[in-house]
Parts: sequence; structure tokens; C-alpha cells
Amino acid sequence: MESLDPRVQRLNIKQDGKDFPEKPELDQWITYEVFVQLVEDKPFRHEGIVHACDLDMAFILAKEQFTRRYTCSGIAVVATHEIWVSPLTEDQESVLDMDPSDWPDAGKEGNYEVCLLYRRGKQHEHAGQIQANSSKDAFRMTAEAYPGDAKPIYNVWVIPTDKFRFSTPEEKEIWDTLPEKRFREAADYKAGDKLTNFKNAIK
Amino acid sequence: MYGGGSIFETPKTDTLKNEDPVKIAAFEARIARGEKIEPNDWMPELYRKQLIRMIEQHAHSEIIGALPEGTWITRAPGFKRKLALMAKVQDEVGHAQLLYSAAETLGKPREAMIEDLINGKSKYSNVFNYPAFTWADSCFISWLVDAGAIVNQLANAKGSYGPYCRALDRICAEESFHLKYGHHCVIHMATGTPIQRKMMQEAINRWWEPMMHFFGPPDKISVHTEILMNWKVKMASNDECRNQFLDMYVPKILELGLTIPDPELRKDPDTGQWVYTEPDWEVFKKVINGDGPCNAERLAVRRTAEERGRWVRQALTRPDSIYVMPLA
Amino acid sequence: MKQEALKELLYKMADDQLILGHRNSEWTGMGPLLEEDIAFSSMAQDKVGHSLVMYQMLHQLGENDPDTVAFMRHADQFHNCQFVELPIGEYDFSLMRHFLFDHGELIRFELLAGSSYEPLSLAAKKLKGELRYHKMHADVFIKKLGNATEESITRMQRSLDYAFPFAMGIYEPSPFEESLIEDGVFKGENHLKDLWLESMTKVLNETELKIPDPEAVKPVVGGRTGKHTEHLQPLLDEMAEVFRVDPTAEW
Repeated sequence: MESLDPRVQRLNIKQDGKDFPEKPELDQWITYEVFVQLVEDKPFRHEGIVHACDLDMAFILAKEQFTRRYTCSGIAVVATHEIWVSPLTEDQESVLDMDPSDWPDAGKEGNYEVCLLYRRGKQHEHAGQIQANSSKDAFRMTAEAYPGDAKPIYNVWVIPTDKFRFSTPEEKEIWDTLPEKRFREAADYKAGDKLTNFKNAIK
Repeated sequence: MYGGGSIFETPKTDTLKNEDPVKIAAFEARIARGEKIEPNDWMPELYRKQLIRMIEQHAHSEIIGALPEGTWITRAPGFKRKLALMAKVQDEVGHAQLLYSAAETLGKPREAMIEDLINGKSKYSNVFNYPAFTWADSCFISWLVDAGAIVNQLANAKGSYGPYCRALDRICAEESFHLKYGHHCVIHMATGTPIQRKMMQEAINRWWEPMMHFFGPPDKISVHTEILMNWKVKMASNDECRNQFLDMYVPKILELGLTIPDPELRKDPDTGQWVYTEPDWEVFKKVINGDGPCNAERLAVRRTAEERGRWVRQALTRPDSIYVMPLA
Repeated sequence: MKQEALKELLYKMADDQLILGHRNSEWTGMGPLLEEDIAFSSMAQDKVGHSLVMYQMLHQLGENDPDTVAFMRHADQFHNCQFVELPIGEYDFSLMRHFLFDHGELIRFELLAGSSYEPLSLAAKKLKGELRYHKMHADVFIKKLGNATEESITRMQRSLDYAFPFAMGIYEPSPFEESLIEDGVFKGENHLKDLWLESMTKVLNETELKIPDPEAVKPVVGGRTGKHTEHLQPLLDEMAEVFRVDPTAEW
């Protein structure tokens, strides 16, 4: 049948799909991990990924995919391949108790951002910045600084600070009107009265 | 939004033969403890394959699902509807993005999935192969197709794969807007002018059978795979989901003075189960296999979108970029 | 303050925003990649939202309610520039229009933040954060595509050349310019145009794209006085198709 969508009608497309070229498997942009800070003073939390061609693009695309509702006071993005990832532990075993000697290392002296996984199945949270000689060194320093009696940490991500794009304080205004985007929220669609009146009328 | 049911093919369980029984035991113990499986954990190949297929089909259903309602995006009546429908269709695209990302953590690149969709190698929910003739059809979809999807998704959100569950939590939160918006629309149509009421009733009549198909074939004729249930890949049976949907929404349709085109439809007070005329499963099969009213259009639109956007992606693709699977 | 002048200003802004938001929503579900599909849709929603704020302001000034104003007028009653009513075309054109329009729109809102008409200055202050994002978004895409491959540069250049005379038409002076300036409502289209040229030139200078000479280009005007291309009336008919089934009904 012919399309009922005027937008599709304007495209004048063929429906049979012949002559459509196959594309190479990895014809895609790389992935960037996205962290969101819902309100000031809360940690940045990992929310997902975007595909982008670079950090600037990742930033503007992450903004609408991950922060188009409720509140937001900042986002941060980093290319997936820039992240140093520790092993993942389970149950009561903390990854911070493990000996990292045999693990691969990355990076040189500088500042690193450390993200921790506090509960399996949940998201990583940004814990802070540390000056270290390498990613693994940053892990070691985190393990040493972490209180021994605290709950286990299941996974650690270490990210060179200069690869992490945080929103700047001046950029905050791009989220100014977010709480007023009421049309994206369930609470804006109340029709209970209309329904009650209708039911009373047909009784 | 998504209707799962048994559009998945049956897995071949003999692939398990090659797996290490000690690793399987540890894997199953983790699931039994209620812990999530994460991308870097060891998992059986069968689990990985089945999840990729399921999440991928779910993602396809979202991106294709943007099209039937998209039919009305430029014609939504009034500011409130215009803004809401734009945001709603946008959410469907957003859900596809989240789901493709979750599937990607299992090792299949997103473009490979999209390629499989537009070449017809991969399936999506059947319900989106039907046309949205009037504004009322878009109201039906927003309310009831999304309601059906929520039933499915809430069940799947309790599954075992971490990235999929997290994506579903986000999706379900957004679906509550879809559901309320859709109900709001239908209430306005049903309690409105005679023309509006008539439009709404006609939409229900058109969509009822696809809606019953939505949850997949009845349990008695669809294949059960114990192992996928144990691994918390499949969380609820087709009939359970359908029954739950009928339980929640039939009364809400009837209270609006609308009728449902099934004279047999009633709840059996003894069993608590709904009795209904079995929808035509031959039609279901035919549509799934490509012969529905809109299959060709839906894929053609996706293909065209891919084609028209290719120059943007190609211009900015860096040959030296390092592709790795996303982390969580 | 002269109300007629204020209304003219509000109408042309609202109509620009509504029509461009409507046009850009045509991409929703069909964008060049999933993330961009979402971002572009958000900006279209922002635009329609801005027009609603303006129509509400007009309603306060005694005009009809926003739905009636937006969905029941005929093309010759619309004050939008012709630029925004052009079909979406290929993505290069939609992006270039977004870039050219939103550079001006952000500056317009920054100027209006200092307006003597308080409702307008409040709205402008509140909404300019959204436009800041629109500009960020446009700049990222223009800078990249304007420097990438031969195909992308050619496409963007072609779109720029085609769009530019229309974009100049955004700043078609109103018959009330002097009164608006005098009353401190708005600094005027000419002033805005100069700032706009400066702002977008700065970005385009970082690309391979060549900006047409503004002195040599004849701006496409007429939209502000209700003269439109053949594209506007069909757009309005489509937009109001359901609404006009029964304009008194609640949808």
C-alpha cells in the first residue's frame, strides 16, 4: 500500500529495496561513555554510551539522549577505549583487595579520574581525581586510600583527566529549562476528571 | 515498545556440550543468587547469542515503532499533542539507541545490527507492520501498544543481563509518559464529539487483532525453553503477558463506552484467566514473514534514512579510530 | 509602547519558531544516525515550545488563543520569513538552515533579555540556554562537515549558497523598527543582522566554506508581510488536518 505518512510520501522512495548497497561491518563511529550529574554535589554516574566521531560530538549528542528530562547539572564524556578497566569481582570480594601486578597498564604521569562500582548490576560512579604515574598506579593509590572496613568495590575505571570532557560551569545554562519540559512527563497528562464526568453522565 | 513473544527462533541447546561445566555452574549460581551478569563476566555462547538476538529485535522494534506514530507527527492537533507526539516518537528512537548499546556490549557492532534489519535478516515486532489510518490509530498505539510493551518490558527488566536491565529501567520510566499521554488522548477522543468517538472505535476495531498477536502465539503451540527461563533470559510466557494486559486494560477500554470486537471476550471467574477468540495465527505468520500491509514501507523508510545519512557518517568516520565494545 | 509594534515582533518570532520547529520535526525517526535524530528532535521541540510562549504572550495582549492562532490561520496571515518554510531537503540543507537561523536566534534572545517589555525579557532570559545548546550543536556539525571530505564540503557549500539569501531575509526590517528601538523593546533587525554576520562568519572561517558576500546578495524578503513561497500553505494544511476536522473539539 502507499504510505499514509506525508513525510514518507515526500521522500518518493522505492519500497522494494533492490540496489541497496551492503556496507562494511564497522562503518560506524566509535563509542563514548556518558556520565550524568543529576544535581549539584552529587557524583557523576555512568548512564550509557553514544556513538560519535569525537569528544565534542559525543558531548552534544549525549546531552539530548541522556538529559532531556527532570534535572541535570552536568555531563561528562570519554571515549570507551581511553578507559582502563579493572577485573570485575562478585559477592563479598573487593577488587581493591586484589594484587594488580600482572594486569596490563596504560598511560603516563598525570591526573586521572577514578570511577567505582559499588554494587553489581548498578552503574559506576565518579569518585574523584588523583595524580598518578599511570592508570594502574591510580588504581593502587585508590586501593590504599580506600578505608579497609568499607563495603566492597566490584570494579574500577581509570580515565586520564585530559581525555574526559566535563561540562563547564558556563555551559550549565543549557539545562536551565529542563524542569519545565513538562510535556515529556506523565504527570502532565491527567484526565481523571474528564473520565469521571463521562462515567457519571452515562450512568 | 515491544511485543516479544516467540518471534525468536528456538535455540539449539546442543551448543552447550562444548562449554566448561564448572564455569556453567558458577554462572548459574550467580543468576540464582539474583546477581546480574555483566559484559566482562564469562557466559555460555548460547546465552550470548540468544541475548543478542532478543535485545537486537527489541531495538529494531523501537526504531521501526517510531514510524507508525510518526505518520501523524506533522498533523498532531494542537500544541499539547504536537509537543507530546514529537517527544514520544523521539523516545522510541532513544529506546532503540539504548537497546542497541546494550546489545553492543555483547559483541555485535551497532551497524551490523542495523544492516541485518534493513536487509530483512532480523525481525521486529509484528504490530508495527500495520498502518495508522487516522489520528485515532496513533492514540491507540500510544496507549495500548505501549501498555502491552510495558507488560513485556517490566518482566524482562527482572532478567539477568545487567546492561539490558539498566536500559529497560530507563525505558520503563519513559514509557509511563507514553502510557499517560496515550490514555489522555483516548479519553479525549472517547468522551469527545460523535466524530471523535467514531474514529476511536474504528481504530480499536482495526487494532484489536494485531494487539492480540502482539504477545506471540499461545503457550500451547509455542516452544518453551526451560534453559532460557532458568538463565532469566525469557521472563514470562506469552499467555501470561497477554492475560495481564487484558486484566489491566479491558476494563479501562470498556469504561469509556467503547467496545472490543470479540464477542467471546470475558474473564473466567473460576480460573481468573481471560477467554477470547483465538486470533488468526496464520495471518500472524504471514505478516512476520514479510507479507503485512506495511512491511515493505517500514524497511524502505529505514533503508532510506540510512542511505540519506550515510554521507554524514562517512565524512566524519576516522580511519584511525579504535573501536572497542562499550563497557556497561 | 506601541502595542501594534510589539505584536508584530512577537508574531514574526513565533511564526518563525513554529514553522521551523514543524519542519525539523519531519526528521524525527528518519535522521542520519540515532543520536542525531534525538538531538535534532529536541531542538524542534524547543522551537515549537518557544512559539507557544510567544503566542501565549500575544494572547495576553488580546489575540486569539495559541491553538487557534497556530492552526487556523491562512498562509498570508503568517509572518515567518520564507527561509523557515522551505522543505527540509537533504540533511545538509536542514543543518545549514539550523546553523544560520540559530546563530541569529541566540543573539536575538540575548538582546531581548534586555527588553523593556518585561514578559519578553523574562522569557528570553529563561530560554536562551536552550539556544546556546542549539548553537553549540550547529557549530560542531558545521565545523566538522565543513572540513571533512570533498563530498561533505561540497554539500555544505551548496546549501550555504542556496540558504544565504533566504537567511538574510530573516532580518527584513519591520515597519515598526524605530518605535521598537525607541521604546527599548528590541534593538532592531539591522543591528541584529550585523551581530549575526559577525557570529556566523567566525565559525565559517574555521571551515573550508566560503561565505557569500552579504553586500552582493539580494535578501529574500516578503515573509514578514505575508508573502510566502508555494510551500507554506501545504505545510499549514497538513499541520491542521486533524485540528480542522472540528476546531471546537478537544483533541
